[in-house]
Amino acid sequence: MNPAIVERLGAVIAGIVVATVSFYSLYKDWKTAGVENNVFKLMLFLLGLGAILAILAGLNVIGFTAPAKGA
Amino acid sequence: MSVASLARDAHGEVDQLYIETRELRLQGFLLFLISDCVLFASFIFAYLYMRNSGQGWPPPGIPRLDVPFAAWNSVVLFGSGATMHYALENFKHGHWMRYIWFLLATIVLGAGFLGGQGYEYTHLIYGEHITWAGSGIFGASFFTLTGMHGFHVFVGVCYLTTLVLQSAAGVYTRGKHFGITAGTLYWHFVDVIWVVLFSIFYLL
Repeated sequence: MNPAIVERLGAVIAGIVVATVSFYSLYKDWKTAGVENNVFKLMLFLLGLGAILAILAGLNVIGFTAPAKGA
Repeated sequence: MSVASLARDAHGEVDQLYIETRELRLQGFLLFLISDCVLFASFIFAYLYMRNSGQGWPPPGIPRLDVPFAAWNSVVLFGSGATMHYALENFKHGHWMRYIWFLLATIVLGAGFLGGQGYEYTHLIYGEHITWAGSGIFGASFFTLTGMHGFHVFVGVCYLTTLVLQSAAGVYTRGKHFGITAGTLYWHFVDVIWVVLFSIFYLL
């Protein structure tokens, strides 16, 4: 199998797991208060966002799908 | 249960200094992370400015970066953020063994990310002949930013390894574990920085 397909598949499957865990943790911690917990919530949101970006890149939806500007 | 009722050292005695200085330590650590954000932001904006000043991107003669591999390696790092979060949660709830396993998983995933970055560097330098000094703006900005981030991940792995050793020595208790909180904040920080770097180098 083409290594790129394996990498894309791995990115999508693991990305779904990471995004689910991040957003679930965010949902669970939503009502916690204090500077520390608010920073954690922001970080978890951005972590989930990163996982979604990795999923989209794995699915070839984003990331160099268009030809280069200089090409 | 209040911090005061939990902030006891390994001998069960209340640590008054810890109670009084915890908030200050937290603020100091957050200021450190903000200063690191400014450092990365300066390099990122310099890169974006140079990128948009040219005729096209990537510059002629520079191949596209390997997006599938980068996506996989990114998920490895993001996964380590999730395991670190659960390490802290388990420590707070007194599940010591689960805490250690999640912390070890974080270290392994962080080291895995560094290994992936090393593999990518090797491929770029020896396979594509892209170097820091010899490939113009692209090589300089790519290796500087990802290298700086990789150094942060390396420091984080060392920090987390120290946490494992300190935890095994009984340094932290349920009410006195600022070191673990700071480690979690730092690890989330390196994850979030990678979200930005991954986007600007591989997705834009």
